[in-house]
Amino acid sequence: MTAAAIEMRSINKIFGPVKALDEADLVVESGTIHGLVGQNGAGKSTIIKILAGIYRRTSGDVSVFGKRLEQITPAAIEAEGVHFIHQDRLLVPTATVAEAIFLRNEPRFGPFINYRQMNRRASELLHRYFELDLNPRTLISELSTAQQKIVQITRALAHDAKILVLDEPTAALVSKEVESLFSVLRRLKADGLAIVFISHYMSEILEICDVVTVLRNGTDVGVVDPSEVGIQKIVEMMTNRDTSEMYPRRNVEIGAPVMSVKNLTVDGAFENVTFDIHAGEILGLTGLLGSGDKEVLNALFGQIKPDAGEIILHGKKQKFGSPVDAVNGGVAKIPEDRRAHGVATGLSVGENMSLASLGQVSTKGFVDRKKESQVIDGLIRDLGIKTPDRHTLVKNLSGGNQQKVVVGKWLSCNSEIYLLDEPTVAVDVGAKVEIYNLMNRLAAEGKGQVFVSSDLEEVTEMCDRVLVIYRGKIIAEYKRGEIDADRLLAAASGTVAETERKRA
Amino acid sequence: MTAVEHAPAAANRGWFNSKIFAKLAIRLGAFAAFAGILIYFALTARGFTSSYNLINVVEQSTILGFLAFAMTVVFIGTGTDVQKGGIDLSIAANAGLCAAVYAVMMREGYGNFVAIPAAVGTGMVIGFFNGLAVVTLKIMPLLGTLAVMNIAAGLELTLTENTVVPVQSDLMNVLAFGRFLGVSTLAWCLIIGSALLIWAIHFSRIGLRLYAVGGHIEAARAAGIRTGAYIYGAYIFSGFMAGVASILIVSRLSSSTPGTGLMLLPILAAALLGTVFSRRFIPTIGGTLLAALFIGFLANGFQLLGISSYWVSGVQGALILLVVTVTSFAKKH
Repeated sequence: MTAAAIEMRSINKIFGPVKALDEADLVVESGTIHGLVGQNGAGKSTIIKILAGIYRRTSGDVSVFGKRLEQITPAAIEAEGVHFIHQDRLLVPTATVAEAIFLRNEPRFGPFINYRQMNRRASELLHRYFELDLNPRTLISELSTAQQKIVQITRALAHDAKILVLDEPTAALVSKEVESLFSVLRRLKADGLAIVFISHYMSEILEICDVVTVLRNGTDVGVVDPSEVGIQKIVEMMTNRDTSEMYPRRNVEIGAPVMSVKNLTVDGAFENVTFDIHAGEILGLTGLLGSGDKEVLNALFGQIKPDAGEIILHGKKQKFGSPVDAVNGGVAKIPEDRRAHGVATGLSVGENMSLASLGQVSTKGFVDRKKESQVIDGLIRDLGIKTPDRHTLVKNLSGGNQQKVVVGKWLSCNSEIYLLDEPTVAVDVGAKVEIYNLMNRLAAEGKGQVFVSSDLEEVTEMCDRVLVIYRGKIIAEYKRGEIDADRLLAAASGTVAETERKRA
Repeated sequence: MTAVEHAPAAANRGWFNSKIFAKLAIRLGAFAAFAGILIYFALTARGFTSSYNLINVVEQSTILGFLAFAMTVVFIGTGTDVQKGGIDLSIAANAGLCAAVYAVMMREGYGNFVAIPAAVGTGMVIGFFNGLAVVTLKIMPLLGTLAVMNIAAGLELTLTENTVVPVQSDLMNVLAFGRFLGVSTLAWCLIIGSALLIWAIHFSRIGLRLYAVGGHIEAARAAGIRTGAYIYGAYIFSGFMAGVASILIVSRLSSSTPGTGLMLLPILAAALLGTVFSRRFIPTIGGTLLAALFIGFLANGFQLLGISSYWVSGVQGALILLVVTVTSFAKKH
């Protein structure tokens, strides 16, 4: 029996207090396309980065074609014939197609690069594998996303790849391009290459993969044949529904619509998005990375200008030209990347919290310090922010507490609509529960909330209603009771059953 | 269905065309401006077109050209974004320091065989410090090389005590006054130096990889290129060129004189202006050569027209602003 192309056994990876991989195995045979699936945070990218030599494993064995590799560096793994097609298109924008393909493998003529041969061979490769007639002198920056992806794969083939690892290769492609990519992958498989295919799109996994390794919480929970077990089973393995006591219940009467969104479109991001948000309602908005869910939120907050459609708040048509307009209109947003957008980490807890609501605590242009302190101390207490006092600098708090400061900052400004973009990302479980409690409190006060999250479990548990976005369109809507993680994931992956399609 | 699929492609092409057009317009505009100014000087400045004057300008441009080549190599290896990417502000001061080292060692009687390696070595050590600041200590290049510039300038003053150090040697006579096939030694230096660099940067593997490091450092790293070594190399090469240029400076002036540091502005102007002569709006050796000659002719024309030389540096500053504005505009739109 020949050795497996890739054999990773009992891989452990510990980041500080977090165990990202826990005795994970990944075994890939030559001549197969091997799917790697799991929810966000399941350890997919960690195990791939260990193979790529970007992270060092804490323990475990890695062999490529039977050869044990002790210390993996990016150059060493490439020498073994393993090539990675990264999700970000890692290409030099000012290089030509031929230069990008042959970088570090340039054909030479004495001390000169043989540009003529390089261009000719680039054309040949592109034609042979992709039937693509692309001028090899074209600059990378002038190519479409799909073409750049193709150049990346061609580069790996030009370097004699025996194992290809593709991380979300279809994320930015349209369906026709996906098909041509798949036919190339099938041809490469027939040539005996081992291909690792990482995707969130279950339909693609079913279509192209021979074997699938399912990861959950850093462990491989199964190696299955997708055509045998079906998508439903794989999704169940990924989510393993055991929701504990994490999600506090609420009992809120849902009121009249506060905000209506009609046919909102941002070209290239999403189209014809229509929904209402009611008082006291938590409306979930979920989709895969790049599906357009975040862009909807950005458009509602005036960060991107819609190309069509309208936003109606309290029966009045709104034109949010900037976040300032949105805030004045009664819309608050809790951004995902709190370091970049949410808090001024160099300021104190108190200063951050009152930044958004100076209007409430100022009189005649002066900040009423006494009133400010009262408001802030109340918030710190209510939110359970762990800080010595309100004068502590935000950068000295833990991530979860920083997030609570962001939430608190917007709570203090008394908006009508709250847009929450992944509010629980990178916070610990305890802080999550407190954020959920806050959301419940907002709901009890009759505020409307739009909740974007890729954690399907929390979407399932927290939302009154969920809209699923797939490639820029709302393709499914579920009410409380109908919502479950498997259904959401299936819909977000584009495999929503015809009968469940949104009744428009 | 097909209509939907084709729409983005068409839109893409339109955008693509207008971008190509804008780039072409800028490039042609740069050539036209270059030609226009030369014609203007030819018509108005007496003696501008005389062969003596033209050769004189080429000779004068050799030193500027060498230093601008060094700046160009740093730009290539670290990205042309002047604000975020790399730059070597120390290069002119470094050349001044190397000139001082060379002149002082010659005065002390060490001879060319010791003084030249010492001068070039000094330049490379300063270049190494730039690499240390930028790559190892991760200081912003604008600040890191500014600090090194001050170190070099301070050392130069310490060595020369801010005086002119006169030097005499046979080699310098050859460099300053020698001719071969009717072309002066300095002009030969420019021709040979340009040819070598055009090979190294545009036709060798090292050059391509250096472009990759400057163009997208993550991509270069993913391709297995040792990016840190290339950036170190670019700065050390820059110091090497400062050393070589310093020998030419001392030869031309028969001495080391204070004030070499003032060349920073024309060096920057030449290296930045050079980018508009390239198809991809990136720094190239050929583009920098053209730009250095252009700046040389500009200074010369002003001189012949009797315009105060103080205006020249104002014009160079304006050129830098113009080029940076135009290219960053072209990249965005």
